[in-house]
Amino acid sequence: MEQAALQRRPGVAVDAGGLPRRLATAVAGLFRGGRPLGLAALIAVLGFLSLYPMGMLFYGSLHSAPPGLAGEYNLDGYAALATAENLIVLANTVGISFVKTALSLALAILLAWIVARTDTPARGTLEVLITLPFFIPPILTATAWGMLGNAQVGTINLAWRWLTGLETPIIDVFSYGGVIWHMMQYSTPFIFLFVVDAFRAMDPALEESSRMSRATRSQTFWRITFALMLPVTTSAFILSFIRGIEAFESPVFFGTPVGIEVLTTKIYALINHQSQPQYQSATALGFAVMVLMFLLVTWQWRLLGGRSFTTVTGKGYSPNVTQLGWKRWITFAICIAFFIATVALPVGQLLLSSFFQFFGFYQLDMLTLEHYRGVWHNREFWSAFANTMLLGVGGASATMVLGAIVAYVTTRTRWQGRRLIDVLAWLPWMMPGMVLGIGFLWGFAMLPAGIPIYGTLWALLLAYIALGTPVAVRVTSSAYAQISNDIEECSRVHGASWWQTLWRILVALAWPAFAVGWVLTFFGIMRKLSASILLYSPGSEVLSVVMLKMWTGGKPEEVSVIGLFMLVLVLVFRWVQLRLIKTRISTL
Amino acid sequence: MLKRVLAAAATILALAAPAAGQTDAEWQKVVEAAKKEGKLVFYTASIGSPFYKDVTRSFEAKYGIRVEALEARASEIRERVRIEQAAGRFIADLHHNGATTTWLMQQDGAFQPHGGIPNARNIMPPYEADEIRLPSDVTSFVILVNRAMVKAGDEPKSWKDLIAPKWAGRMLADDTRALGGGAVFFAVTYEAFGKEYHEKLAAQKPVFSRDLRNNERRTARGEYPLYFPFVLAYYTQIKTLPVKVVIPQEGRLYVRFDLAVLKNAPHPNAARLFINHFLEVESQLVYANAGYSPVVKGVVERSSEDMRSFLATKAMGTTVPQRQNEMLDLAKQLYK
Repeated sequence: MEQAALQRRPGVAVDAGGLPRRLATAVAGLFRGGRPLGLAALIAVLGFLSLYPMGMLFYGSLHSAPPGLAGEYNLDGYAALATAENLIVLANTVGISFVKTALSLALAILLAWIVARTDTPARGTLEVLITLPFFIPPILTATAWGMLGNAQVGTINLAWRWLTGLETPIIDVFSYGGVIWHMMQYSTPFIFLFVVDAFRAMDPALEESSRMSRATRSQTFWRITFALMLPVTTSAFILSFIRGIEAFESPVFFGTPVGIEVLTTKIYALINHQSQPQYQSATALGFAVMVLMFLLVTWQWRLLGGRSFTTVTGKGYSPNVTQLGWKRWITFAICIAFFIATVALPVGQLLLSSFFQFFGFYQLDMLTLEHYRGVWHNREFWSAFANTMLLGVGGASATMVLGAIVAYVTTRTRWQGRRLIDVLAWLPWMMPGMVLGIGFLWGFAMLPAGIPIYGTLWALLLAYIALGTPVAVRVTSSAYAQISNDIEECSRVHGASWWQTLWRILVALAWPAFAVGWVLTFFGIMRKLSASILLYSPGSEVLSVVMLKMWTGGKPEEVSVIGLFMLVLVLVFRWVQLRLIKTRISTL
Repeated sequence: MLKRVLAAAATILALAAPAAGQTDAEWQKVVEAAKKEGKLVFYTASIGSPFYKDVTRSFEAKYGIRVEALEARASEIRERVRIEQAAGRFIADLHHNGATTTWLMQQDGAFQPHGGIPNARNIMPPYEADEIRLPSDVTSFVILVNRAMVKAGDEPKSWKDLIAPKWAGRMLADDTRALGGGAVFFAVTYEAFGKEYHEKLAAQKPVFSRDLRNNERRTARGEYPLYFPFVLAYYTQIKTLPVKVVIPQEGRLYVRFDLAVLKNAPHPNAARLFINHFLEVESQLVYANAGYSPVVKGVVERSSEDMRSFLATKAMGTTVPQRQNEMLDLAKQLYK
């Protein structure tokens, strides 16, 4: 069908409705020249972005010395994994990630349902507020929670003691619960961003049919609404679970001091805490994690395979909104409580601290604007900000374009090789970031001298695209899965080319999800440290590197100022995005 | 001890000889060549430090040579240099890192001889230079106490006082099982006080945290009355908080940072000139006033008054790179 459509208008230049014409023409030419050529090009791009650095790492896991050094091939790295200590670490990692993902998923679905499908007051504002925690650098909220939830001197416990007179603390963030809670602050809005648009994009006729057939509201939710959202929820669950396994800040901040070790802290120790970095063991551990991830993804494919989740058809619809009556104030309170716990408390602590000379010392004589001035006059910060914006906008856009193409091939076609493409796009997500950063460093440095990637902004850009593609693919493929094939076929029948159909039908309908993916990728780039610290070069510093320098340089207050600045940026981005989505949906 | 001092003196003399033999005219040629090179690429593990930047700025102003600095953690710098050199990409000129990592990189063959530095003759014991490495600055580790929680006179006087029952469960510490100040503390005190000391200290259940800059604030906020080993150079930034530095009677622990010219450096003369500039009294004074021990003569006496008393205290010891892994393994056994 696709081939027929491509052949129908062989010589026509493609107008991809806003894509830069030359790029669109060039890429379309590849696909027009024949499906194998297009697929080969896509596989080559993805292979370079994922397989190549992973290949370097695989070599590292089997070789006693890293690339470029003499050594011998052996399985010592893998043999060293089979210890009782590593089993405990694995159990900790999986257990913590599973609990936090399950709790976050339940909470995110509730919040998304409230925002997208009920008449709760101020839903637009609530949506922005709920997603905010995701965009705050974890090291800042970790510090804030260290001050709020410390068993001895934490603000919450001090307030509790003052109110009740009891000596027993009600909260201790340096515990399993603390690690899980801190991770939930990121995974809940992350999952929420996935599911909220799926709730919106659901044709209410399906739910109405269920109700007409005398199903209760609860039965309708579980059998229709929830079932139709399986691609999105399982994608979000798996992505979030994987993020949980790869999380570093929460366990290192709240777990390590009380002896809770997870895979990432173990890998970090193998690389950074030995006089000789143990790359072989670290990469072997990274591949062990990858096998675990691969099993999960395979499970998701099996779970979803062969089932239809189409909810957006050619027929007009508008999302069904449940009238909650007085209960809408309860749902409103739930959203506000989430916002207070995840944003108002830690950000309030940060905001307060940013006006004092030292974090956590609130004396009048320490009031100052020095940290704001410090950031304003910091040339390195502005240079890094410019680099980051350039890489963020370019990287997020390129990632979403690549993600949209990969998602199309894997979800909307029966082309041979699509599964391989899906796997290639997934690979970077399956390897812990701090290990993959080494793979990129090895890979880019080992390229022939004529390929000028190493030591340039391109190295960072390509690494960011590779790291962002799995999210871009998941976001867009979940949205594509909800769009009926007949709309696409209708476009083809009327003579539109493959690219025109992709851009004007699929991307246009999946646009809200595309925008969410763009924002997730953009802010992901702003935060990526593991790849940035290894790949940046003098003059190409990015924000995450500058923030690390400030943090280790004893300027957490200035890092807070940057964190707050990023929050404002998020608010602006989200506001523009939601305005655009609203305008777009009203014109569909 | 005497043997080590004599060996150090011999090394300094050996180094000073070619430098002294190196006439002003010869050094002037190095300066001119460096100016022609016009640029220096400097890799440093001193992340977030404003002090090397001060030295860099004065170097740029004095010689008109642009310095491009790249900061990363010690192991990241090492791996970056290794892979660049393996791939034939000789980008960086000068390396600035802890003595252990520098020693390991020297074993990897990452450096080339610097060729003689005039100011090397001013390096003072116990610090040493050789034909590859020159010391640049020294980080000292001491004890930090919360003034509000620990009354004057109750502070620990010795590293041995940390095993007193009153500190059980009340100490925050840098991790002894990981590279950094914690490992330095373990290695030096293990040598000095033996295994029993650490068994007792482990029984005190110190809380480990690698977030060094937050640790000092946690102590100041009263979460813990005592934190060790504390980087003395951080004190200037937090001295207005309710904290106090305690230098144990056995002395400060220390870690030396070294400078070394990287193999096939594209700007070798600029690298030599920068090393010489780093060892100037004015450059060393920048470090001394911040709480780093200077490595050349004639600096301590010119340093700021509040730092001079700390810098004048004796140094207890540092790690031996060759025994680092053995010490880390021992620490892991003792501190579960």
